Amino acid sequence: MDSLFGIPLTTILIALLAMVGAIFGVLAWIWWRNPLLVKMGLRNLTRRKTQTVLIVIGLMLSTLIISAAFATGDTVGYSVTNAVYNDMGEADVVSGFDPDSDFATGRETLLQSDVDAVRAGLEGNEDIDGITGILQTPIPALNPEERLSEPSAQFVGVDPESADAFNALITPDGTNLAASDLGEREVFVSERLAKDILLEVGSPLQVFVDGQPTDFTVAGIVRDNALTAATAINSDSGQPAGGVIAPIERVRDIIGEPGRVDLLVLSATGGIRDTVDLSDEIDEHLDVIAMTEMIPLDVIVTKAELVGFAELAGSLFVTFFLVFGLFSIAAGIMLIFLTFVMLAAERRGEMGMARAVGMKRLHLTESFIAEGMAYNIGSAFVGAVLGLGVAWALITVLGSVADDFGLGITFHVNPTGFVIAYCLGLVITFLTVAISSWRSANLNIVRAIRDIPEPEPFKGKDRSVGALVRGVLGVLWLLLRITLAVVSLGLIPLVRWLVTRIPPVRRAWRALNSTAARHRSMGAWAIVMLLIGAIATWWGGWIGSQAFAYTAGTTLMLLAIAMISVYFGAPPRPTFGLISALTIWYWLLPLPFSLLFENGNGYTDPLDGFFGFFGLGHEPVVGNIEMFFVSGVCITAASTLFVIFNADRLLGAVGLLRKVFRGITPAIRTAISYPLAAKFRTGMTLAMFTLVMFSLVVMATLNHNFTQLFLGDNARGGFDVRVNPNQNNPIDDLRAALAEGGYDVESNIGGVGHLVAGDAQVRPAGEPDDEFFSYPITGVDDEFVAASDFQMATTAAGYPDAEAVMQALVSEPDVAVVNEMVFEFTQTANFMNPDNMFSIEGSVGDLEDGAWEPIPITVTDEATREERTLRVIGVVDSAITSGIVPAWIAIITSEETATAVLSDPGQAFFVDAAGGGDAALEVAQGIESTLLERGVQADSLQQLLDDSTAQQDAFSTLFVAFMSLGLVVGIAGLGVIAFRTVAERRQQIGMLRAIGYSRRLVAISFFLESSFIAVTGIGMGLVLGGALSYNLMTSPEFTNGQTVDFSYPVPTILIIVGVAYLATAVMTLIPARSASRIAVAEALRYSA
Amino acid sequence: MPEPIIQVSDLVKTYSTGEVEVQALRGLSIDVPRGEMVAIMGPSGCGKTTFLNCASGIDDVTSGSVLIEGTDLNTLNDDRKTEYRAKRMGFIFQFYNLLPVLSAVENVELPLLVSGVSPSEARERAREMLNRVGLENWSGHKPAQLSGGQRQRVTIARALVNKPAIIWADEPTGDLDSHTADEIMSLMQQLNREQGQTFVIVTHDPGIAQRCHRIVHMRDGLIEREEVPAGATAAGEAVRG
Repeated sequence: MDSLFGIPLTTILIALLAMVGAIFGVLAWIWWRNPLLVKMGLRNLTRRKTQTVLIVIGLMLSTLIISAAFATGDTVGYSVTNAVYNDMGEADVVSGFDPDSDFATGRETLLQSDVDAVRAGLEGNEDIDGITGILQTPIPALNPEERLSEPSAQFVGVDPESADAFNALITPDGTNLAASDLGEREVFVSERLAKDILLEVGSPLQVFVDGQPTDFTVAGIVRDNALTAATAINSDSGQPAGGVIAPIERVRDIIGEPGRVDLLVLSATGGIRDTVDLSDEIDEHLDVIAMTEMIPLDVIVTKAELVGFAELAGSLFVTFFLVFGLFSIAAGIMLIFLTFVMLAAERRGEMGMARAVGMKRLHLTESFIAEGMAYNIGSAFVGAVLGLGVAWALITVLGSVADDFGLGITFHVNPTGFVIAYCLGLVITFLTVAISSWRSANLNIVRAIRDIPEPEPFKGKDRSVGALVRGVLGVLWLLLRITLAVVSLGLIPLVRWLVTRIPPVRRAWRALNSTAARHRSMGAWAIVMLLIGAIATWWGGWIGSQAFAYTAGTTLMLLAIAMISVYFGAPPRPTFGLISALTIWYWLLPLPFSLLFENGNGYTDPLDGFFGFFGLGHEPVVGNIEMFFVSGVCITAASTLFVIFNADRLLGAVGLLRKVFRGITPAIRTAISYPLAAKFRTGMTLAMFTLVMFSLVVMATLNHNFTQLFLGDNARGGFDVRVNPNQNNPIDDLRAALAEGGYDVESNIGGVGHLVAGDAQVRPAGEPDDEFFSYPITGVDDEFVAASDFQMATTAAGYPDAEAVMQALVSEPDVAVVNEMVFEFTQTANFMNPDNMFSIEGSVGDLEDGAWEPIPITVTDEATREERTLRVIGVVDSAITSGIVPAWIAIITSEETATAVLSDPGQAFFVDAAGGGDAALEVAQGIESTLLERGVQADSLQQLLDDSTAQQDAFSTLFVAFMSLGLVVGIAGLGVIAFRTVAERRQQIGMLRAIGYSRRLVAISFFLESSFIAVTGIGMGLVLGGALSYNLMTSPEFTNGQTVDFSYPVPTILIIVGVAYLATAVMTLIPARSASRIAVAEALRYSA
Repeated sequence: MPEPIIQVSDLVKTYSTGEVEVQALRGLSIDVPRGEMVAIMGPSGCGKTTFLNCASGIDDVTSGSVLIEGTDLNTLNDDRKTEYRAKRMGFIFQFYNLLPVLSAVENVELPLLVSGVSPSEARERAREMLNRVGLENWSGHKPAQLSGGQRQRVTIARALVNKPAIIWADEPTGDLDSHTADEIMSLMQQLNREQGQTFVIVTHDPGIAQRCHRIVHMRDGLIEREEVPAGATAAGEAVRG
């Protein structure tokens, strides 16, 4: 992996190392200027060991998640790269027949003469040290001794004279074999085939072409690679298959195609891994020769492209895991912030005293930073190492899924990724610690010493416009300073320090800063928030059409309005209550309207509705995966505010429980009062818990519903078995072939549909300037239509339902159905570029069922080049395009039409088992064994669905498990609070015990207090995550018009909730127990 | 002399701080009759607070016996001792020890709730008690919003709300100015007169001690001497018999 988010890793590494250098520079600076501050900070580490452990856990989690994401991505990138080098070996450029070439007329393959022409043309080229032609064609292979067969083995013909340069025929122990050593009836087989049908050296082997067997003896077993077998890289079907390797002339004789060559392979001068840079150059040479020698040749793939793809795959995995880890990282940042705010609260008196005897705020900040960094440096390293462990666990699960695709996953750690993860964790923690330290040091000396609460932060003293303007300038000045310090990596503050050594400059600087600080107020901050929110909303809605900026900006504006209102005297509770409720509602729209009207009747964006009323509405905004995180943060922030400002009212209901739990009434009283009194602390913990639960619930619910949507029964299209005849052994009539083989067709088989499939050139009709793009076309016969059960997402006018559409395919000329992936909206949403592929404007959601006119598309006949216009009359349900039958992800038309536009279509049969779905597997096995010699591959569609569902579930579990790391943050957060509160309230516990609280009552009170936060957070996460998931899965934009039978994955959610609560309970029981065991007399004497 | 409500005999309390053992009480004996207001005085470290803690059952004794209303506290387990404190004792501390997150009335009603009184009745009785200590208009305020004197009145209300037999007060005026201290002492005297409860007051302040029925002087973990203040009332004489 070389880059992340398009930025080279080396650049990221250098930037981060510079930041870490700056951080250590700051620490050295603090140490040099005032070692006492550092000592003060460091000595605090050992004051409370349990708390220190929890803080270290909290601090290391962000790094852990980043490290795990990098290691996972590195492993995927490394494994795919390895697979590329293993599969390609010495081959650097692989080219094949180009049917679109002007020189392709009358031909279907490359010929040996083409290979010779290329060899002659490149003779003397120092960049190339090998050229060979290879023939590859699927055939059935049988081990007659074991009666084991592989219906789609790859029959590979290699040129004995030129293949040796590629070193592709290597035994598992590394010995090179030569094709020229093979006897008349000898072949090599690849490891996979040998394993699948139990072949050994000396085993007999039969291959079938046109149903006729040819007998061979296995002379050697070679490794699977792109030249000897179908691998993850070169397999058309995506499924690997073993190979049977023989000299090319012998293969040509057997298949009856003299001179045929499928692949022209070139090797660059050098080894396997050091020739990647030459790929492009060879590609260009080849193009020139193809033009001059008039060879219908096109480069299929180069090693450089594949290596690039491997890098991209690694980078995508890192991005994916980082995005899904953002929730946990955010929760981790909140925990760090909370921890330091609590540490500051614990030492408020000390800090007040320190300030009273002459310490400046900066000194206190520096002392906290020193302490924070002492925790940070070690915990970031531990986190980075533990991240590797988490990645290893993830890779173990991922590896089992990848194995099915023939891709071996090997755990691999790139030191660059590891160092980046460590540095990033260190920087994130430093910034959080610095901000929280700055906030904590900002205290009033008298209030701190006398332990008097700080005043209400939102109410303004001077509410004049002038004061507000001065405050805004003060805020902007501070933001400017912070921005410049961060952007310059601390250089500007250093220069500033040097310059302010000059007394007059220092005085002016201090005067400027103290004036700015004096005028800053919450109202000023709110005004700045309002401005930033308005700019983000305007840009996101009316300029960039970006959902994240638009929605986050709107949320920021709403919160700013609440703050400004309170600043000007509005009562906090109703103001924040109302605004936070509005914000939640804004995010959860179209609820509740969607429960009342179809699709919420358009009530999704009140702001756009307002401006639209004046004709100033904006284009629809577009959002991607980042919206998951943005929505989580905004909803959580709003709901936390709502709960915190209304909890005492909401808890009136809890008060009623006192009658039920009369014995523990005093415990309930104190358990509720403490969290409500410490709003900031409770709010932060609540937000952590809610955020994590929200993300888990949304993730689990979306996975569950998408699995249902794509991998439900509809995905089978009404069929039970798919039958793929071998390309070299076509079958005209499946029933007849089976009957001929002695299979009881009548008893086992109901309907048999037939389809042909291939690629054609397609573009929207009436757009002569549009480019043609290659796109799959599938043609179905009458019986296919009769036996199928294809659901439609939408149908055109005149076609009332799916049945009418399917019937029209075979009864009307040139009509077709398409899938949602041809629509621009869906392509964009799936990170594809509609300009580079066949696409239809708009989205499925734009097509109101039964009300749109058929959409004309133009298809070019591959053979005659004549254009043909098809009318699209329906869009198939997403389930049909789930991927278990790739031929269905196509423009589907009649067999007659498809045959007319496809030059050499493949074929497949779809069988409706007479015994229903339960008999599918048996029927598939029966068909495959009956037509063994013809190389037919038959699969139970239900089995394919089950396999896909299992893979989907494995991925789902993987992501939920990864995101569950955030739970550790939440639980550690509650632990920090619980332990802290016991220490903080020691004297109060003593008093409670003195006036009659039993040990049990004290323990219950503490336990309930933690439970209150955990249960509220879990509940909020469940409700908000559940509501958002419902909105998404019932939104036509999100599901591309598919109707989802929405449901919650109740067992999964129960497990998540159960684990979360149990872990919390265990974590809080320990401090609750220790609180109950405090000796009364000692506690009363205790001074915190 | 009426039957003592508090009978302490040969009370020894030893603290172990690592290798060093400190004998805070060295065999102290004292009887306190029901309804008496007794002041415990002495220099710092003489064992006043330790005596109060051991006698009230919030700390364990090393040896000796403490009989409260005839019950030996040493024979009770922690739960029974706690229950006894909740129903029969009240506490007043120098630094108030109010729960900062609860309002005045909520602080006062806590002992009632612990004793199983219904929430509505507890609230009513707590308000009544706050009225008696002159805080009827401050019941909804949290401790941080009250002055030192007001906080101590809340503490007194909390100590008395359960109509306990004994009130233990550890430096109840130690954190107050002299005027407020005088007010608080007058209030305790008044309540003692009206409700006949026993007050054991640990104090450094001779002025406070002089307003009690009896002054017990401690030194080095023992009672050094006792005196009856010159201004002790006839009621005090009656109590002592």
